[in-house]
Amino acid sequence: MIRIALSFAGRIGRTLLISLLFQGVAIAADLSEFNLEQAPPNVDARQLARTAEDNMRSDRTFFKGEMTVVSPRLTRPRVVAFHSWEDSQEKKSLIRIDAPSKDKGTGFLKLHPNLWMYIPRVERTVRVPPSMMLQSWMGSDFSNDDLVRESSEVDDYDHRLLGIDTGQGSAVDRRSYVVEYRPHEGAPVVWGSIVAWLDIESGAPLRQDFFDEEGERLRVMRFGDFRQIEDRFVPHHWEMTPLDKRGHKTTIKIEKIEFDLEIQSSIFTTRNLKRRD
Amino acid sequence: MGIETRLAWRNVWRNKRRTALSVAATVFAIFLVIISVGMATGVHEKMIEDAVRLASGHVAISGAGYRQSMTLEQFVPWDGRLEEVIEAAPNVRAWAPRISSFALISYDDQSQGGMVIGVDPAREKNVSEFSQKVNEGRFVSVDPGPTVREIVLGRKLADRLGVGLGDEILLYGVAYSLETAYELFTVVGTMALPDHRLERNLAIVHIQVASEFYVYEDRITEVAILASEAAESDSLLADLEIALAARFGDQLELQTYEQIMPGLVQLILIDDAGMYITLIILIVVVGFGILNTILMAILERTRELGVVLALGLKPMALFRMIYLESMLLAGVGLVIGLSLALPLLAWLHGIEVPLGGDIAKGTELFGMEPTLTFKLNMINPIGSTITILVVAAIAAFYPALKASRARPIDALRSL
Amino acid sequence: MLLRMAWRNLWRNPRRTIVVLSAISIGIAGCIVAMAINLGMVAGMVDTAIRGGLAHLQIHSAGWDENPELEVRLMDGGAEIAKALDATPEIQYWAPRLRAEGLAASPRASVGVSITGVDPIREAGVSIAADSISEGQWLGERGRVVLGHKLARRLNAEVGSKIVLSVQDLAGELTGQAFRVSGLIRSGSRELDDGVVFMRLPEAQALVRMGESITEIAIVTSDRTLVNQIQARLRAALGSGPEIRTWEQLEPLLVYMIASMDSMAWVLYAAVFIAMAFGIANVLLMAVFERTREIGMMRAVGMSRARVVSLVVIESTFVTMLGLLLGVGLALAAIWLIGDGIDISSFAGSIDEYGIETVLRPSMRSRDLATPIVIGAITAVISSLWPALRAGRAKPADALRHV
Repeated sequence: MIRIALSFAGRIGRTLLISLLFQGVAIAADLSEFNLEQAPPNVDARQLARTAEDNMRSDRTFFKGEMTVVSPRLTRPRVVAFHSWEDSQEKKSLIRIDAPSKDKGTGFLKLHPNLWMYIPRVERTVRVPPSMMLQSWMGSDFSNDDLVRESSEVDDYDHRLLGIDTGQGSAVDRRSYVVEYRPHEGAPVVWGSIVAWLDIESGAPLRQDFFDEEGERLRVMRFGDFRQIEDRFVPHHWEMTPLDKRGHKTTIKIEKIEFDLEIQSSIFTTRNLKRRD
Repeated sequence: MGIETRLAWRNVWRNKRRTALSVAATVFAIFLVIISVGMATGVHEKMIEDAVRLASGHVAISGAGYRQSMTLEQFVPWDGRLEEVIEAAPNVRAWAPRISSFALISYDDQSQGGMVIGVDPAREKNVSEFSQKVNEGRFVSVDPGPTVREIVLGRKLADRLGVGLGDEILLYGVAYSLETAYELFTVVGTMALPDHRLERNLAIVHIQVASEFYVYEDRITEVAILASEAAESDSLLADLEIALAARFGDQLELQTYEQIMPGLVQLILIDDAGMYITLIILIVVVGFGILNTILMAILERTRELGVVLALGLKPMALFRMIYLESMLLAGVGLVIGLSLALPLLAWLHGIEVPLGGDIAKGTELFGMEPTLTFKLNMINPIGSTITILVVAAIAAFYPALKASRARPIDALRSL
Repeated sequence: MLLRMAWRNLWRNPRRTIVVLSAISIGIAGCIVAMAINLGMVAGMVDTAIRGGLAHLQIHSAGWDENPELEVRLMDGGAEIAKALDATPEIQYWAPRLRAEGLAASPRASVGVSITGVDPIREAGVSIAADSISEGQWLGERGRVVLGHKLARRLNAEVGSKIVLSVQDLAGELTGQAFRVSGLIRSGSRELDDGVVFMRLPEAQALVRMGESITEIAIVTSDRTLVNQIQARLRAALGSGPEIRTWEQLEPLLVYMIASMDSMAWVLYAAVFIAMAFGIANVLLMAVFERTREIGMMRAVGMSRARVVSLVVIESTFVTMLGLLLGVGLALAAIWLIGDGIDISSFAGSIDEYGIETVLRPSMRSRDLATPIVIGAITAVISSLWPALRAGRAKPADALRHV
């Protein structure tokens, strides 16, 4: 026992060295293709992140839209229409599928961190087990886990302002802050870092690039079709492109979005899930 | 027969008891070597057979990258071309197409991810043993019914879900077309499998039902092939690879059971190694025994040899004669041993000897039948014979040398 | 007196004596080496399994057999049990563990894994995981995991990579956390190389929200034969609560494999013993018959039959003992020479990184030597007794005439 403990003592020295390396091991994303201006020094990156997050969120939100999935496997893109209610305080949401007909009426109830699913045609309610969480949601490039994941873009990350994109380049077409989000050690996020372009005027996100720890870009999320809703500048067109899967793309088009609603909490129950509305 | 040979032969039989003992030792050795190698070969083949019949056969064809990802994406085109090639290949005992993918299996408030395999029951029963492992209910019907979707679950999976025969369970997943795939399936049977992990996750349906469920059209995920015997797997793989490369490029991936279940192969390897080493030791011991016997005989015949040399026999001739004596001794033992062992092995070949006790219980745990099998092949007797002859040839050298070096004067003096 | 005469007789005809000696010693050596190799092979298999995480015994909470889920756990980190374990002298090392099934995810892949929370130092005494680190190092710091090199490859991860582990906690809720890979295991055991993710026990407990509980305790002893004894002792000390199982009960498959290998081995041992017996018998028979004239001479000179026979038997006994001694020495030398073992991986062709070690290590315990020695001795005595009696019975005159 003591013998083993002593041999470990020798290893601790090495551990210190390696842990030092770990701090800086995630290589910075290569953004040299985008010409960035120097950012003004007194801008709080964390505040920018908070604004961006709040822009898309309210305590209770209603959402109606359409998701389109493009894949080399498909001759025609797959289109899934749905509407949803979300309570971000309680971390609950209900998604109801409107189309195609095979999926119409299917509901997903998220009561953080669990996910239930109801299929009306066979009248079955299913609790999505952990082994299924990383499977694709409705055939898209999002996983069930993406739906449920509640990592806060503000709290779980450290933020760093990289510069300003003039909007003339290839990345985005509006003048925006470029902020790097680096997840805290231990936060349940697989990415090494996320780089977000945030509209200078409104703070809304224009684009998000997801990198692994070696600095390789794996996913790009683009936001477009911005419309003013009260004091928010809301993108009505989101497009997610995975870069390691050729020919794949998932797009979400928002038809209607309403913020700060009054919703009854009874919406977020398995009982309500089983209704077909 | 030359005079030397005749003399040698007569000399061999001069001391009957001694010769008998040596011959007996040789007979015994070769008999044992042939029978044990035959038994080991038979047992190992059976082990492989039993294992591959609950997995993917001797050779498995799948889409490139399928084994890593296990998704529908890496498919095998099933439009008749592949079938043609397989049918034309020699050494194929049986083959079966399959569609396997992951799906959510749910009943009441229990849900679990599982591996769903769509099989063609008619072909499958020649390739795998799943249909024989049904412990309750029955296997999937050969004809998929128009309304009822049949499913057979691993017993542990059924227990976990709290499902019994006749219950309807929900399968939910993503089809190849990215549509949502969900259907109700009726449980018609459960299987007890020796691999508990498999039993906890496996569900079997008809391949046509799986094809519809996953909207797979003319695609499958794997073809499992049984070769005529395990030893033919590598050549079968090579044949198929060549034939398929032309038509499919690198779309397909072929693997033998050695690559799919390396642990089994290694177990057999170690068992074989231990056995061969022991057999070599056996032969050495026997060879040494013969050596000593002959040596003692030479010492005994010192006077006679001396006389013979004094009478003018050349030492070289004496060497040859003594050498011949030894080889004849070994030869007699070899012939008798072979004529006893080979017929026995031939008779045992293919027969299954029932086992008892601990071992029987153990094989049943495995889900295998508690029997012992033997196998006769050409390498076995040829290899053993050659080994013994080589050992005899080496062993005979020293006594023959000593005999030829005998000095007539010493010999005569011992009178 | 008789003894001295016997001894001197032996060396009067050195050539004959040497031939007999070599027959006996090679025979015995062959037997011993064959047994050693087979025993070593079986021991190696068992050892690999035990050192691969199975351990000699495991303790679980009552009801684990029926339902190996998280709910069935040992409370308080098994503190009560720990006392009993430390009080059992036969136990060499023991280690607490927490096992939970979960998912490991990297930016490119996700895989189902068996998360095992361990005490890094205790675990090193109980399994080879800590000694099989091929890259990086064993658990030390917080927030680190160690996984098999094959698992890492599937996740596209290396030392330093981040992976996110999600698991269903005690309440059935999904929890997740990111960890960094601090080391990769390359052990030859499939479980260790491709199924398990190791982390420090307190972190596993936090991830699964199990407080101080664990799911099992693994126990290792220095002498495998003591296992049942330990089980009995622990059962007496701990009562009916926790379930204590030996490796045989946990892995009946292994027991079966050993049984079948053993029985095949015994058939082969029998063969070698018989071969040895033949060799010894033949040589001794010849040796004695050869001396018929000599024996006749002794009788003619007035030695009693009994003395003559005894003389011959004693000589044979001397030769046998010497032969056995030499044989054992030869065998031990051979075993020592084989030393680290015969590496059969070269025969394995293109097979590499496989489940069990491809080295056959001979192993021999002193009690195992008994069987071949006894058989050798008995054979020798009988083989010399019979011809001695025959020779003794012959009339001196006939014997003298024997040539």
